[in-house]
This record gives sequence, C-alpha cells and structure tokens, in this order.
Amino acid sequence: MKDCEKVLIKGNYAIAQAAVNAGCQCYFGYPITPQTEIGEYLSGKMQELGRGYVCAESELAAINMVMGAVSTGVKAMTSSSSCAVALMQEALSYAASDELPVVLVNVMRTGPGLGYIYPAQGDYNQAVYGGGNGDYKVIVLAPSTVQECIDLTYRAFYLAQKYRNPTILLADGLLGQMMEPASFGKYPYPEIDTSAWALSGAKGRDARAIYSCARDEKAQIQHIKDLFKKFEVIKENETSFEEINTEDADIILTAFGSMARNIKAAIKVLRKNGIKAGYFRPITLSPFPSQRINELAKQGKDFIVVEMNMGQMYKDVKYAINGQSDIALVNRPCGEWLSVEEIVDSVKKVMEKNYATSL
Amino acid sequence: MEKNFILAGFGGQGILLAGTILANAFMLDGKNVTWYPCYGAEMRGGTVNCEVVVSDTEVSSVHKQDTDFALVLNQQSFDRFVQRVKTGGAIIANSTLVAEKRLRDDISYFFAPMTKIANELGSSKITNVVSLGVLSSVCKILSKDALKNGIEKVLGTKKKELIPLNFKALEAGSEAIVNV
Repeated sequence: MKDCEKVLIKGNYAIAQAAVNAGCQCYFGYPITPQTEIGEYLSGKMQELGRGYVCAESELAAINMVMGAVSTGVKAMTSSSSCAVALMQEALSYAASDELPVVLVNVMRTGPGLGYIYPAQGDYNQAVYGGGNGDYKVIVLAPSTVQECIDLTYRAFYLAQKYRNPTILLADGLLGQMMEPASFGKYPYPEIDTSAWALSGAKGRDARAIYSCARDEKAQIQHIKDLFKKFEVIKENETSFEEINTEDADIILTAFGSMARNIKAAIKVLRKNGIKAGYFRPITLSPFPSQRINELAKQGKDFIVVEMNMGQMYKDVKYAINGQSDIALVNRPCGEWLSVEEIVDSVKKVMEKNYATSL
Repeated sequence: MEKNFILAGFGGQGILLAGTILANAFMLDGKNVTWYPCYGAEMRGGTVNCEVVVSDTEVSSVHKQDTDFALVLNQQSFDRFVQRVKTGGAIIANSTLVAEKRLRDDISYFFAPMTKIANELGSSKITNVVSLGVLSSVCKILSKDALKNGIEKVLGTKKKELIPLNFKALEAGSEAIVNV
C-alpha cells in the first residue's frame, strides 16, 4: 500500500474528481445532504477548467439540463440523494427512451418520504426498477469503497456513452462522507465517438432530432424491442460481481455497496467458527448477476442477503436462485449499519432455524 | 489487526481535523484506514465526533458499535463514549474539561490537561494536536513520527508556517501522561 499516489479522500470528493478526470464537461445539481460536497467541489473545479457548472433551481431542472447537455455529445452529470432522485424519475424514463448517456449519482439517505440524512440502502428498487413510466432499463453500479467510487464513476461515464443509456452510480451516505486512501490514476477507457447521433449543429449535414417516442405503432414496438435488445448486450458484456470463498461454501453471504465490507469481514469470522461461508457482491445491480447466482444455487449453496432496507435486493437474489436452494434475509431498514458481530450472530441463528424465514 | 478510535469533543475543538491527521498518519505508515464523521444537524458548541479504523488488511465496518480507543476532549463526550469502550480498551480524556472519574474497572483511563497544555503553548486551538500526542503515548500502534507525517500532509504547503507549533504540541502531549 506504500503507493505515494494514494490520497486520503472523502467518497463525495472522489466521485467529483473522478467525474472531472473522466471528461465530464457539465455538472448540474441542487444541494442535498449527504452528497453536497460533490456540487461544492465541482462549483470551483469546473469554473477553473472552463467547463459548465449550474446550481439548478430544482432537481427536475438539473436532470433535464443534463439531458440537454448530453444530447450534444458531451459528457455531463448530476448528483443527488434519495428523495430528490425521486424527482428525477420522469427524466430517466425519457433519457432511456431517447438513448441519452445521462450520468446520475445517487448518494443514498434514509427514506421513505423526506426520510433523514443518515445512510441507507432503500433506493435499490428506485435505481434498478425505476420510478419512471414504461419499459426501460438503466445501468446501475454500486461501489463499496472510496476506490470504487472513483473506478465506477469512470465506468459510469464510459458505459453511458458506449451504450447511449442512462447510468446510475448508487452510493450511500456512508461512502459519501467517509475518507479512505484511494488513487485516481488516469481515466482508463477510450473516448466514444458521438458524431453519428449528437445534436451538434446541422451545418453541412441534414438536421437531426431526438424523440422519446415513435408516433407509429409498429415503430414504437420496434423501438422498445431495440432498447431491450441493447440491454441484453449490456448484460452479456458488462455484468460484474466480486466473489470470495464460494467454491467450498455451504452458505453465501451477499450484499451490495458499503454493506458488503461488513459481510466480507463476517465470512472470515464464520469460517473461524467452522461455518463454510462465502462472499458474493453484485457490482452491477442492473444488469444483475443472476446467472452466476443461479449457477451457485444449482450447486446447492444457500444464500443470506444482508442489506439496509426491507429486502429489496433479496427479491432479485431469490428470483435468480429460482427455488434451487434456500435464502434468508438479514436486514435493518435504516440507522447504524449491521455490524460484523450482528451479521455473524444472525447467520448462526438463520442456520439453526434451518433457513426458516427472514429475521 | 484492526483497531478503531473515536475522537469526540465540542464543535470547534478541531476533532474532525485531529481525525484527519490520525488517518493520514496511518495511511503514510502503510496501513489501511477509514475516517467517518458524525454528520447531521451539528452546530457550533454542540458535540462532534469521528471514527478512525485502522487495519493491516481491508477495513471492514467503518462505523462500529464499540471502540478500542476513545479520545474525548469535553465532559459530554466522556459521559457518552466511556460506555462504548471495549473491555481492555482505553479512554483518553482532556482533564482540563473532564472530571477524573473511573467508574469502570475493565478499561484503562488516561487523563491529561490538554487545553491547559495548549494554552501554555500559546493557543487553545492546538488542543486537538496535544490530544494526538497524548494518544501516541498510550497507543502502541501509533508513533509520533507517523503523526508528524500526518501533520505535514494535512497542513501541506499552504499552512507550512504552523508545522513547528504543531510538532511542539505533539511533543508536549506525548509527555503529558508521564508528567502528571
């Protein structure tokens, strides 16, 4: 770890600087705890670099400004938190249908409603299934360390443009507020050519327009099918996860985001107690690594889903297992993250009860 | 090895900065480390705290229920966090503002007049770094040299002129327990 490039940095600042490194030309946002540092940092940095920064009058305005900016072919983003990301759902549906590479960072806080400013993981459904209308899918990436805040911000900008699809970085208040050593390196992805579709001015070529719908039944059917065909390609190419000690495991603990840090420590304790526990963390929540979970379940491995909500990812894991093995939920709706000790105790209880039900 | 530290005191006592120096010291010492602040409707004069976790391997939980070390600079923080010190752990308190009471026999207590020492050095603002000096004298995994590196890193070139005073505060703090 004696890498002089490492800096001790807050998750929020890491995301903001990573966006700058990724070539984000415009930031639009409205302050909300616990992600305000992103806008704060960029308000100075973007000006310094001669790039765009607007503190919008509302979240609705901010995401529509992002749609406008990315439609010209440049990289742009907004960031917000839970209850304010709820206000952006309509735009995400439009952006998915318009095939616009919108990048949205959600640093989750407690919900529902206004909720509270402390971290939670209650926006899994909001991010993965979306609150917008119609059949659409967005790419969702969930970091678990400050280093991943950087790496996945890079990836979010790349995937958004590569597939012309809205992409969400789903972090949480804990990651946003904590500091951890991390290194930025260089933006590792190639630049995507947007000249074939971007609304860059019609001088010397025919005018273009981007519509969210086709005003013809057949064309609209084809449009939706194409969107889903595209997402199949994304699933094939971009699904990612982290897996430790699953080969000989009887039971696999799974969690996303910063909660996964605690299950990684919990499996070590469980193994010391003679329980063969494994670790599985989806990095892409959408596309979800269903196929790998299904393969592991087929080998008879049971799953325990650990999350800070009422069991949102639980349903996707259960769907992926498809009845081939048992599943239990260890959760808390919000508040202090489940500690390593609580997780270990819960896993033992679940195993004693023969995986009866969730706690 | 994984150890955690809770630093707590009044808003304005430099708690978050002390935590940042501590975390940088561990990072520059080649360890994995995290820093997590309490955040909420905090205000000046209220209490503030942050948690630093250091580990040889990847840091697991960033925010724990109990702690190995509590470094507290005022009475409210002492009352609150003495309950959260693990059996075998230690609480290090600023005796200028904290009454010396030892109600638990399963933890170690260390008292040093941190604000008084800081005032003698010329500024109560330096209490936080004095407290880190005291911490280094009771915590085996934390060296004074590592803290000096942390101070240099945090103050950087912009506030370079403050480095000698901070080093002095660190020294004074590290000798405080022996002297009392």
